[in-house]
Amino acid sequence: MDKKVKSKIFHYNLFPKNCRGTNILKENIIFIVLNLVFLSILMVFIFSKMQNAANLEEMYAKQIALMIDAAREDTTIQLDMQDGFDVAGEEYSGELVFIRDNIITVKLREKGGYSYSFFNDIKVRPEIQRLNGGYNFYIYRE
Amino acid sequence: MNKKGSDKIVSVYWFAILFIIAAAVVYMVLIFYGKPYDVREIESSLLAKLVADCVSNAGKINENVLDGSGIILTNENFMETCHLNFGVEDSFDWSLNSEYFVNVEFSMFEGEFLKNVTAGNSNLLDFCKEEFKSANNPSCLEDSFYSLDSEGNAYKIKITSLVRKTEKNVG
Repeated sequence: MDKKVKSKIFHYNLFPKNCRGTNILKENIIFIVLNLVFLSILMVFIFSKMQNAANLEEMYAKQIALMIDAAREDTTIQLDMQDGFDVAGEEYSGELVFIRDNIITVKLREKGGYSYSFFNDIKVRPEIQRLNGGYNFYIYRE
Repeated sequence: MNKKGSDKIVSVYWFAILFIIAAAVVYMVLIFYGKPYDVREIESSLLAKLVADCVSNAGKINENVLDGSGIILTNENFMETCHLNFGVEDSFDWSLNSEYFVNVEFSMFEGEFLKNVTAGNSNLLDFCKEEFKSANNPSCLEDSFYSLDSEGNAYKIKITSLVRKTEKNVG
């Protein structure tokens, strides 16, 4: 195949007019903008995955379960859940943390929630602290 | 060759490379965030710690475990004495078999075996064998320590704790 024909297949000349200075500038600007757009889309995708409600539910449920397993009676544990409040604030206004028997459920969405159990046979009373963006867990034995 | 022209050309190769990089990043992110957080190792160590604190305090065996007549901790009163609750969420048929197992082995310092006390699903014990140890299998932790009774006799206490919960930690 002729070299010129072959190169036309893989290359597209965006600037057919040969107005040197302006074209080089335009070309570089478009090139940089396209790269920035590409990087932005990539970053948005990564951050959307990081702040995903399902991920946060799982993380908080397991974190709280481990905290309770490690806790002794008559203890108060404060947990920063600001990220969870931010995610939930947009679509869900109910209680974020429920504890039934020895099972913790964290719910940041209307349709969703993640449950995890703890083995420490102890009573836990969660109390929301909206101003501090967190929860207090009062751990006691009856 | 049109060198001047090629300088002004935006190559599709560059976008092909960008596409490959994007696909790789997306794949890695999905792999990383798609897997559940595996907390079983921490859970099994916390379980062992809870039982150790129940059996012994500050190097002395607790009175609710050992009195003048011998070791009074049994399979029947183990859960209550050590404040354990092995109830789990009703998913993946977990309610049929316990997802936990804990074994406490008492022996004299010199090596004479005294008693085994267990709670939970004893079928899990096989996973402490070296050939079954892997990230996909239940997490097993074996630890031992020495403790004294009120008369100063030394005991060796070996604790084996296992946590399964594979479906929620491995995926």
